[in-house]
Amino acid sequence: MDIRLHRRNFLTLAGAATLGGLGLAGHTNHAKAAEDLVWLTWENLAKDDYIGPFLSQSGIGLTKNFIGTDDEQFAKLRAGGSSSVDLITPGLDKVELYVASNLLQPIDLARVPNAASLYDTFKNTPLGKKDGQTYGLPFYWGINPIVYRADLMSEEPDWSVFFTGEKYKGRLAMRDYALEGIMIAALYLGIPRERMFDMDDRELAEVKKALLAQKGLLRTYWNSISDLTNLFATGEVACAFSWVPPYYELLGRGLNMGMAKPKQGVIGWCDTLAIPAGVSDERLDATLKLVDYLLGADYGAKLAVGGPYALSTSLAREKLTEEQQEKIFVKDLSIMDSFVWKANPARYSDWVRLWNEVKAS
Amino acid sequence: MESQKAALTLLVAPVVGVVAVFCLAPLAVLFCYSFFHVEFVEIAKQPSIGNYVKVAESETYRWLIAKAVGTGLSVAAIAGVIGYPVAFFIAKRVVLLKSVFLTALLIPLYTGDLVRIFAWRVVLGAEGVLNSFLLWTGVISEPIQALLFSTTATLIVLTYNYLPFMVLGLWLAFESLDDRLLEAAADLGAGRWATIRRVILPRTTPGLLAGGLMVFILVIGDYLTPQLIGGSSGVTVISAVNDLFGTAFDWPLGSAIAWSLLATMVALIIAAGLLFSRTRLGRSIISGG
Repeated sequence: MDIRLHRRNFLTLAGAATLGGLGLAGHTNHAKAAEDLVWLTWENLAKDDYIGPFLSQSGIGLTKNFIGTDDEQFAKLRAGGSSSVDLITPGLDKVELYVASNLLQPIDLARVPNAASLYDTFKNTPLGKKDGQTYGLPFYWGINPIVYRADLMSEEPDWSVFFTGEKYKGRLAMRDYALEGIMIAALYLGIPRERMFDMDDRELAEVKKALLAQKGLLRTYWNSISDLTNLFATGEVACAFSWVPPYYELLGRGLNMGMAKPKQGVIGWCDTLAIPAGVSDERLDATLKLVDYLLGADYGAKLAVGGPYALSTSLAREKLTEEQQEKIFVKDLSIMDSFVWKANPARYSDWVRLWNEVKAS
Repeated sequence: MESQKAALTLLVAPVVGVVAVFCLAPLAVLFCYSFFHVEFVEIAKQPSIGNYVKVAESETYRWLIAKAVGTGLSVAAIAGVIGYPVAFFIAKRVVLLKSVFLTALLIPLYTGDLVRIFAWRVVLGAEGVLNSFLLWTGVISEPIQALLFSTTATLIVLTYNYLPFMVLGLWLAFESLDDRLLEAAADLGAGRWATIRRVILPRTTPGLLAGGLMVFILVIGDYLTPQLIGGSSGVTVISAVNDLFGTAFDWPLGSAIAWSLLATMVALIIAAGLLFSRTRLGRSIISGG
């Protein structure tokens, strides 16, 4: 007999103890009060000055629980945390995992007026949707470019710097993350974007060969963005596949930094707003009001300056200077055409195994 | 007698209960999961040894397990060589400031792992203290890149991290070594080397083994240090398990690797124990001679 066990069932048993550690259990009773919401999110999205105006106007209370990684957020929900959370912030590429685990409810877009102003890219994406219904509403987005020390490099790099040539051997760093590491190798090898997340054995073998060559050129794999910032600052690394923040942070400290967006394509990411399956009645009403605010102009303008990150809607764009628009990549929206949005590969276990094989070689 | 046994049982039962619930039960759950497999985000509960076959067939996972054991043994050996004279000095040569020395030995443990790791980065980095000093003295003209993000750097930092555990085990052994035995050896004409080999070493071997075992186990479980100090070769079997549990959602394969590692360690420790018990030194320790 084929008995299937959802990991949630197992985790529910261990959940009570775990939830205490995660800080969710303590909020359970608190969260039951009407219009006092719990938002599981990244710390930089829930700053008081971003959401204060909404809370004071609406009278809605908000408890913020912060996550460190998307995987951690998923694990919390799977561990039974969904009953004590009203809003979560999964990556657009991860929403299908939550939906498959029956953790989310579809969002009634008619009750989120600001969703009408989503950029076309996000309106049309199949990610975050199932059977025509939206489960993960695109929230904010950005790119993961190449960041480099312009004082230590003589030309703007593209992805090939991580795979060929000896010039910067031992001065390069790559994120220790199978999904993006393999995506970059695929971009370098020219594997078509429509096939990227569905590569066959031959293509994966090519990717592995390229990644093995890459390993010989690397100084290290980085695991946290603060670690990478430190590596740039101390001169250990001259060029890395990065997130955007080290570029602005180190520029602000006086280092001559560069940011490259290779023509082969740039990895784009987007986080969504998603509502756990159990949220209903007044709590659902309040959550939808919060979602609408988070997609609006006031919040978007604050996030653009403080992040700096771009909302998935165009509502804040007109409030920003050209310089601010440039900073969050919304001045010329055609740039989105060069983005490769992260998706969940069909054979992700094989990707992770390949990544580990390369690192252990 | 019966009441003493009952009291003992009553006292021991909570400890056994806590160990069973918080230590053995999770391992047992992992063991069960290692026989299942994943279908997208569901765990299909159809028992098979498929995951163990994958581990056995995978050169990567076999290598990572062997690398973990090799690193554990290397660091335990280095810590033993360094820790032995240090423990002897604290136990037998220091009289007034013994507690100060022991406290100083433990100071690195008061800080967190990350603090220690980043402190070593400051020392070993391309623009770090050591390279800057060597450049200043003219010994080198270019920074030595291999000082950081290399296997050597990993071994140095792991040894630094876990040396106190080795020294503490040895210090206890040296403290219980009766000084009159050393005097007797000298009176009977034993030289320094003969005294070490025939008196000190046999009497302190239990401490050496206890410290070595502690270091061995702690090193195998440490994946932060290799990750942050080892550079592109810093992958460990623990980080591979972490990837499988976190990123790939492949808990069964992760469980199978974890159990393969555990079984390898237990088998090694038992084999080493059996081999040691057949030596003259081992027999002498077991018999309390």
